[in-house]
Amino acid sequence: MLEMQGITAGYDGVPALRDVSIAVGRGELVGLLGANNAGKSTLINVISGTVPIMSGRLILDGEDISNVGAQRRVELGLVQVPEGRLVFPQMTVRENLLLGGYNRKARPARPANMDHVVSLFPRLGERLGQLAGTLSGGEQQMVAIGRGLMAGARVLMLDEPSLGLSPLFVQFIFEIIDKLHAEGMTILLVEQNLSLTVRHADRCYVLERGVVAVEGPSATVADDPRTRAAYLGM
Amino acid sequence: MDELLQALVQGFFVGSAYGLLALGMGLVYGVSGIVNFAHGDFVSLGMYLCFALFTAFALDPYVSVVITAPVMIALGAVVYRFLIKPIAGRQLLMVIQLTLGVALLIQNGLMMAFGGQPTRAPSMIESKLFLVGDVVIRGAHLVACIVSFALAILLYVMLQSTDIGRAIRAVQQEPRAAALMGVDVGRVQVMTFAIGVGILAIAAALLLPGLPIQPTQGLRFTVITLLVFVLGGMTNFVAIMLGGVVIGVAEAIGTIYMTHTLGQLLPYLIFVAIMLFRPQGLVWRS
Repeated sequence: MLEMQGITAGYDGVPALRDVSIAVGRGELVGLLGANNAGKSTLINVISGTVPIMSGRLILDGEDISNVGAQRRVELGLVQVPEGRLVFPQMTVRENLLLGGYNRKARPARPANMDHVVSLFPRLGERLGQLAGTLSGGEQQMVAIGRGLMAGARVLMLDEPSLGLSPLFVQFIFEIIDKLHAEGMTILLVEQNLSLTVRHADRCYVLERGVVAVEGPSATVADDPRTRAAYLGM
Repeated sequence: MDELLQALVQGFFVGSAYGLLALGMGLVYGVSGIVNFAHGDFVSLGMYLCFALFTAFALDPYVSVVITAPVMIALGAVVYRFLIKPIAGRQLLMVIQLTLGVALLIQNGLMMAFGGQPTRAPSMIESKLFLVGDVVIRGAHLVACIVSFALAILLYVMLQSTDIGRAIRAVQQEPRAAALMGVDVGRVQVMTFAIGVGILAIAAALLLPGLPIQPTQGLRFTVITLLVFVLGGMTNFVAIMLGGVVIGVAEAIGTIYMTHTLGQLLPYLIFVAIMLFRPQGLVWRS
């Protein structure tokens, strides 16, 4: 469904990713692993269109979208749930979700998407009128994921959704990820947490200093000694 | 006592227009993080546009707004897109210098086009007075007050409950996330700046009746706007309107009760006093 072909990309002419090729199939849950600064966030920002591609191609449903602007990519269903959640603190939960459905394609589907989000996160349903800035970290993560779903995501890209959450919430968020996966959502999951990710993802890629070091089914990746090496920077 | 009441009423009416001036500044500051030091000169420009339309077609300033507001909106968009945007996000001082440059450009442009002599653009409503009890209400002030509050409410509703309003607030609060949700941040910034300048076109027409205008007056409006803007805690709409009223009343009281120079100082003295004891401005909810 989504394919990166030999992509080199980075900020200010300095490549943070070098010749990276990954593929995410329809309905797949793909994990993207690696240590800090391995280029994981850069990779999904390349897909979101906020980091420019220096060379290589980005393919969605067989079409080259390398030169498509960031706004249009959201309309195409490439939606990122950013690291650190980045909810709109002075807006209510409802407003955050409505803004998620801001793009032209998602607007008509807002009521239906809202029902879906509330059914996934009943807790948000109870707090629709509350300012997002006053929520706990876990609840803000729910808002961030809900906002992404409201945008009409066809490929949901989650950047470190477990970051800074209590173990209980981490477990809950991963249950939600499993549920979305079961519903047929295509998911690209960026995580530092190796053991958690390999347990949930179908396949994984391990990035090391901007290149793909290991790739394959989750179980193989988990057992591959190079994975550990990539994490330890050896 | 009558004088005090008179000062309060007049200050309230004029102050609401000051509030409107500051709302324009607050809107732009919130979205783009820039303070426009040409703010008052855009007001000036709006006034001279009304004056030009009056001399050319004998149009009343209230009618001219239909023409000046769209013109100023377009001007605002151009200024932001081609002058401010290229350096926005760089050194704060650079933006301040740039907008000061725009201010001087407008001032001298007006001077070249209209000369330095004070002039006036009369309005049909200018001489209309109402007597409520012992308080004299000038028609133009009443119009200024009603329109200012109506516009403030309209803006508030727009920000609170429309998609574009939510997009503006989203850019204000978390621009990166707004971009990831498909909001064109650059366009929102251009648009809010244009709206901000458009508001000034309206405020200019509201303040114009009875006021002598001259090309160098812009700085005075900029300073008043800054006072109100800071008093209002910079982004809080209600507090900004309240700040406008406070400054308007201070000005009116100063004019009525004190000698000319001292009276003009009063708004600044009150501003300093409020800032000393409530540095966060008049906001009650942070």
